[in-house]
Amino acid sequence: MLARAVPLVLLVAAGVYLTLALRLPFGAAERPGAGFYPVIVAVFALVVALAATASAFRSAPGAEGAAAAKLDATSRRRVVISVVALAAFCLVLPWVGYPASAFAFVAVVLRYLGARWPTALVTGALSSAASYGLFATLLDVPLPRGLW
Amino acid sequence: MGPLEGLAYGFSIALMPGNVFACFIGVLVGTIVGVLPGIGPVGAMALLLPSTFAMDPATALIMLAGIYYGAMYGGSTTSILVNVPGEAGSVVTLLDGYQMTKKGRAGAALTIAAVGSFFAGTVGVLGIMLAAGWLADVAIRFGPPEYFAITLGGIVLLSRLSGGSILNAFVMVALGLALGTVGMDSISALRRFTFGSVQLAQGIELVPVIMGVYGVAEVLLLAEEGIAKTQIAKVKLRELLPTPEEWRRSTMPIARGSVVGFLTGLVPGPAAVLSTFISYTVEKKMSKTPEKFGTGMIEGVAGPEASNNGATAGAMVPLLSLGIPFSPATAILLGALVVHGLQPGPLMISQRPEVFWGFVASMYLGNLMLLILNLPLVGLFVTVLRLPQHILATLVLLLCLVGAFSLSNSFLDLWVLVIFGVFGYALRKLRVDPSPMVVALVLGPMMEKTLRQALFLTRGSVVDLVARPLSATILILAAAALFAPPLVRLVRGRGFAKPTRLIS
Repeated sequence: MLARAVPLVLLVAAGVYLTLALRLPFGAAERPGAGFYPVIVAVFALVVALAATASAFRSAPGAEGAAAAKLDATSRRRVVISVVALAAFCLVLPWVGYPASAFAFVAVVLRYLGARWPTALVTGALSSAASYGLFATLLDVPLPRGLW
Repeated sequence: MGPLEGLAYGFSIALMPGNVFACFIGVLVGTIVGVLPGIGPVGAMALLLPSTFAMDPATALIMLAGIYYGAMYGGSTTSILVNVPGEAGSVVTLLDGYQMTKKGRAGAALTIAAVGSFFAGTVGVLGIMLAAGWLADVAIRFGPPEYFAITLGGIVLLSRLSGGSILNAFVMVALGLALGTVGMDSISALRRFTFGSVQLAQGIELVPVIMGVYGVAEVLLLAEEGIAKTQIAKVKLRELLPTPEEWRRSTMPIARGSVVGFLTGLVPGPAAVLSTFISYTVEKKMSKTPEKFGTGMIEGVAGPEASNNGATAGAMVPLLSLGIPFSPATAILLGALVVHGLQPGPLMISQRPEVFWGFVASMYLGNLMLLILNLPLVGLFVTVLRLPQHILATLVLLLCLVGAFSLSNSFLDLWVLVIFGVFGYALRKLRVDPSPMVVALVLGPMMEKTLRQALFLTRGSVVDLVARPLSATILILAAAALFAPPLVRLVRGRGFAKPTRLIS
């Protein structure tokens, strides 16, 4: 299933990219425009995606996809939580500010990776303070402070 | 400036206190990330890149490169003691290295690995001094057609060598090239594929992509395991000395590994990893008792451990003399120089000698520091392995987030980091190597610029473009690399040729 879906997605993406590239000024061979090279790349991408699709549909289904599904439920949950936490951090950072986002991020991820709440909360507080001190105070990175 | 004069001048730069300190931090961080499985040198270099913005270009290069070659030392420690590769360049080492540990010869294996790395590192710097200068002299006559041929040929070779199927590698290349076209066109200033986003007009930054693919993705793999306990073999200091017999058996493998490594480093591809496989195969072939490999042969540690250090040195040559990075690690070094307005290339050696020679001299210094760090102090680094992995994983994620933001204080970079982190994790699950994508992302814009300039020069004639002697040679070599192996297989399959074993 997955092994066949991926090349199809690539094929669509290459098609969209080609359509967009064709709208750019192509120029001529002696005076290539902004669209000249993207069109070449798009054609290459399309050929590669076609080849990948062909090879995926020729080989037996499920042969390669099986390896990816072997994770047990706990491991999968750990990865999903980490990814959700990363995305949530990016979403709330502009509003909540760095110190609070970093604290929550570290505490939640640590907790789900198997630490106890006290460890998770203390590590969260320490790492948030230390990294804010290092980056915002010492290196002058304008990390958002948030509403308070 | 001749090599000797240059080196003397270089030491006067490298021995300045700030640079000695930068070198020390670099090789220390390199050793630590080398020892730690899951976190590799490329991710660490990307993480520390923002901290180098305030440094001199030479200092930045000295520190970041220290991480790269330092990791090759550290990686062997974990391979030998834990039977888990500390980083990809040490996978081969565990075949015989861990077997030696089981036989109680862990100390000898560690010593030979460190001495071999030191020897190869030193030979490698010698190689850089000679090869980079020579190549720069040749490259000064290169025009856009040659540079176009080198970038195109490099991408093709890299795809061929990156391991796994060439189709997957080409998918990665196509993706990298396409991502490289996002943003402002460097010639006509037209915005391409930005969908009206002002931030995207700057293009997709390399560093958050690398941090995602090599930092976040690796941590997500670590996260699967949660709290994991590592079993570490104990080493006593007095066991560190190899026997005279072990020294004797290691000498030639180290010498051969150094040369194999340096030469592999010159070729586009995952040099550090590839060189260890080549060196292992060579040693096995040269051995009178090849069947004993895998049971704790010191040759199987000495050769590969020398070769991965030789390869990191070799990989610097195309970067320093042509300005073209063929690996994610050297792409970061390029990024570090470009931030300071320095364009590595044939003119850099003569115009900014303090950067080139200071860097070369620092590699001698760094290798010496690494020898000390990795022999008497090996126990200290082994304790790094006892750090709770889940805490380490979480803190690295946080560092990736702050690091990506601090590059240019952009929220877009944060999203690029997360998206490519997830993407890189998926790629590892599908066993696809992401490095062709990363290299294509760097080389793509170079390739476009040189192609357009070259076509302008030849008035649109593709024949003139590829028929220049050097372009033609490079493109023919690349085509040969691309098509020769399938042809060989085809011919052999029909029984036209005797099966000869190729190095795999």
